[in-house]
This record gives sequence, structure tokens and C-alpha cells, in this order.
Amino acid sequence: MEMMLEVKGLSVGYARKGLALEDIHLSVPKGTVVALLGANGAGKSTLIRAISGLIGLHGGAVAGGQVEFGGESILGMASHKLVRLGMAQVPEGRLVFKQLTVEENLHVGAAILPRAKVSERMEAVYTLFPRLLERRLQAAGWLSGGEQQMLALGRALVSGPRLLLVDELSLGLAPLIVQSIYQQLRVVGDTLGTSMLVVEQNARLALEFAATAYILDRGKITLSGPASELAASELVRESYLGTKRTAVTA
Amino acid sequence: MRAAASMALPVAVRGRSPLGWVGLVVGIALLCYLPVVLTDRAIFGFRLSNMQLLNLGLTQINLMMIAILGALSLNYLTGCAGLISIGHAGFYAVGAMAAAVTGTQWGWPFPLVLCAAALTGAFAGIVAGLPSLRVRGLYFVLSTLALHFIVVFLLSEYQYKFFDVVGIPYNEPRVGPVALDTPMRWYYFLLPLVALVFFGLRNSLASREGRALLAMRDHELAATAAGIDVRILRLKAFAFSSAIAAMAGALYAYYMTNVAADFFSINFAIQFIAMIIIGGMGSLVGSIIGAAIWLLLPSIITGFASQAGASSGLLGHLLNDSRPQLVNLIFGLLVIVLLIFAPGGVAGMGRQLRNGIETLRSRVWK
Repeated sequence: MEMMLEVKGLSVGYARKGLALEDIHLSVPKGTVVALLGANGAGKSTLIRAISGLIGLHGGAVAGGQVEFGGESILGMASHKLVRLGMAQVPEGRLVFKQLTVEENLHVGAAILPRAKVSERMEAVYTLFPRLLERRLQAAGWLSGGEQQMLALGRALVSGPRLLLVDELSLGLAPLIVQSIYQQLRVVGDTLGTSMLVVEQNARLALEFAATAYILDRGKITLSGPASELAASELVRESYLGTKRTAVTA
Repeated sequence: MRAAASMALPVAVRGRSPLGWVGLVVGIALLCYLPVVLTDRAIFGFRLSNMQLLNLGLTQINLMMIAILGALSLNYLTGCAGLISIGHAGFYAVGAMAAAVTGTQWGWPFPLVLCAAALTGAFAGIVAGLPSLRVRGLYFVLSTLALHFIVVFLLSEYQYKFFDVVGIPYNEPRVGPVALDTPMRWYYFLLPLVALVFFGLRNSLASREGRALLAMRDHELAATAAGIDVRILRLKAFAFSSAIAAMAGALYAYYMTNVAADFFSINFAIQFIAMIIIGGMGSLVGSIIGAAIWLLLPSIITGFASQAGASSGLLGHLLNDSRPQLVNLIFGLLVIVLLIFAPGGVAGMGRQLRNGIETLRSRVWK
């Protein structure tokens, strides 16, 4: 199977704090969704940042290993260049440009497209999230949390990426909204064949959504495999799904 | 799906209403008539007293327009690109120096001198912007401060080597066959120039690059994640802004006819920051308002103070004797009050008012 993203033996450290990630192996096959699970501080965001080239801005550095995107080594490549190669990301914390309107936000995301394609891609995003169309002239700072997350997603998707990195999509959002956003993401995956690497604290949701999952614990991958298998495994159920054998499963 | 697109797309076309066109024409007519009023001290033959003209003269208006260029360029950099600079007096000095070399020494024609000043300014801006690739926030502000002192030092060395203590003299500027020898002529030269810079900046902010600039200001990390090369963008913004500031510096030097290096003090730089705070960070119209308040209010206050001083006893005495302090006091209060109650400056207040009226109207109509 052709790999969209391959992480081989990646180690990442922050200055004077030792290694945050050690010898990580992870791959995202083309057209599939891979979930990355783990508790707070396990290194999920660090991994996403190392892949997307933003680690430097957070004061970290790659200590070793290799990251390949579409077969090409991308380690040390500037983040804005990766976007042009087709790797889009939704950073943690819904970083929309609050003072720009919804449409301007999308335009920023579409700035790497040739001008002729912009309207077509904007239309696709608006079809995916009709709420954004309703609010397109509003300043992004006035949107609700869910709408801001939709906008952050839309801004990443508008460039038509081959790989989408999503960091903590569900953080601070109502479960219903999270559900509906994930549904739209599934549509994206099914229709455009976009590969995704999704970092998620809500393990139940992520295991439903993804085909494969990796579990990160204190900087190391402790478990990986098909999502359905992981969902059934004892360890995952106890540590991440919060349902012990004795408890009634929902 | 098609319907959604056609609904979504024609946003960029922002039409002006018929009333808006009328307003525009009337505005231009008024701006063209203003110098006549200020020179004749009369409107269509009706004489106006000095106070009815707010104690203003055309020279103040001209200096204001030059300051508007400086405020616009700083607001573009600080308000729109999010880069704070206290080196803008330095860029003025760069422009004045370039004008001295090309104009006074080499005798280039005035329009060419302005272009040379702008180009030199752009180059200086790129140099000044280089630290922004590595340092952020306060450290970067300090690097612009360093630039200020370096440039002013160079200018004073240059001044003492080729000229004297009095300052650098500038020739009478000529645009083609017309000599800019009266405030009136300066006015008609400066007005279209300011308009050009204003609309140029406005259009550039509405372009791809401009949106990227605003995005970078709002959130650098997210801008990077959206595929924007923030480093290049920062340098471009710096070059653009300092080119305008340097051109303003050259204009200022020519308008003053003689400029010494110590004109460009750190106070000179800070006044631009005050202008954009008063007018409104990130608002181009705000830059104009801020520059207008900064340059015209002292004269207006002075006018009122001398009027009051002529009439009453102790208060008048106080007003008369401490006019400069009074002006400073009022400015200080204005900046503080604005920072607390209207962080968006005068332009921000206008925006709030408009939103308020809009909300009110939508409620009443419903």
C-alpha cells in the first residue's frame, strides 16, 4: 500500500527538557484516516508539530529519524512550503484569524492556489460547511467555538491538501458539534480521498472515525493497529475509553 | 451547489451607492476649496475670524499631510502587519539624507529625488526588518530603536562633513515647470500624493498579500500553517512602509527648506505611534484622523487659550503662560482616555457607533 506519510524512528526534544518523543514509527497509508491517541503530555502535539515543521516555533528540535511525505523526505522543511506540497494542518486551539471575516480566512488558506481555482475550492468548503456560507462576512472572532473549528478546517481544506493533520479537534466543543464535524470530515475522506492524521483525546470518537490508530504514552508508541482491534483491547478500554470490564459499556 | 457558489462569490465587488458617489465628489470639491478658504480667510467673500478658522493656516495642513504619510506607513507596519517600530523617525532621516545627497548635492529634479528617497528607504527598511527574522516582540522594538540612533548618527556626521551646524539646505522643489513656492502649490501637490498612498495601501490590504499580512498579525503560527512565508512577508511590509516614510522624510525636509539631524529625535518617532493610537491601530482612515489631531489640535488649543487668556483673570493668565504645557497635558489625557475607553482609537469608536446604530435599526425594523 502506498504511504502518504511515513515517520521512521523520529525523536524530538525540547531545549533542556530531554526527549519528548523517542523512536516513533508511524505511517498513514494513502486515503486513510489514522488516529493518534494518548493522554495529556504524551507527545501527540509534539509529533504533529515535528511533522508539519512548526516544532521550531515551539522551541523544539528533531533529534533524529526521518519523515517522508509522498515518498519525499520533508524533515527540516519550512512549514509554509509543506502546505504547498499538499500537507495542510488544523493547529490546536482553533487558530482562526479573528479580525478577518470568514471569507477572508478562507482566502488566506486559498492563497497558494492558482487564482482560477479559488472560487471552485471555496464553493466546495461552503458546501461542506453551509454554516460558514451563512456567516461568511462576519469577523471570525464572533463565531461560536464549533463554527471557528469548522472555519479552521475549511481554511486547511480549501487548498485541496493530500494530507490533513488535525490537532485536538474536539477540544472544548460540545459533543454534538464534534460529531457533526467528524461526519463532514468523513465526507471529505470519502469524496476527495484525503489522507488524515488525527490527534484526539476523545479516544472513543477517534477509534470510530479512524481505520488505524496509534497510542502514544510518555513519548513512545505503546500500541498500534486497526482501530476496531484497539477498541476491543483490554488496555485501551481501561486506560482510554474509561470502561472496565465490570462497567456497563455504552 | 452552483446556487451556493453564485451566492458566495460576488462579495469582492463592493459597490458605492449613488449617495456615496455624491459624497465623494463633494469631499473632493471641499478638499480642493480648503486652501482657498485658509489663504483668503473667507468663504465666498464672507470674512471669517481667526477662531472661526480654528486658528489654522495652510502650512499646518501641509505639514499634516506629510505627517499623514508617516502615520499611514507606520500604521501599515504596526497596525496591519503587527510589527512595532520606533524607528520611523529614522526612516524620515533616511529620506532627508537621500534627498540631501541627490537633490542638494547632485542637483537631481525633485520628483526623482522623491523616488530615490523611497528606494533608499525601502532598502533601509529591509535592513531594519532583518532582525525580525530572529527576534520578536520587545527585542525587535529595541532593534528598531537601535536603527533610529544609527541613522541619526550617520545623518549628523554627514551634515557636519558637508554642511554646517545650521543644517542641510534644500533647493526649491520644482515639479516640471511649476515651482512649489507657496503653501497653496504645496497643498495641491501633496493632496493627490497622499490620496495615492492611501488608496494604494487600501488596495494592497485587500489583495492576497494584504490578507496574508493581516493573518500574520492575528496569528503567526496559524498563518504559517496556512502556507504563508511570514519572514518574506515581514521584510516586504518593512520595505513598503519605510519607503513611504522615507519619501515623507524627503518631503518634510523640502518643506522645511533646512533640516538638521537633531530634528529626528526619538520624540519625532513616538509622535507617529501616538498618532496611530489616537486614530486607530490598523485603520488607514484612523492614521489620517490621528495625524490631523496631532498636528492641528495644538494650534486649535493655542487659539482658544489665547482667546480665553485675553478675557478673564487668573485662568486666562494661566492659559497664556503655560500654553505648551497645556497642549501636552491635553494630549497626554487624550491618549490615556483613548487607551482605556477606546483601544481602537477614533476609527474604532466610529466603527462601534456604526455597529450600534446598525443593531438598533435592525431591532426597530423588526
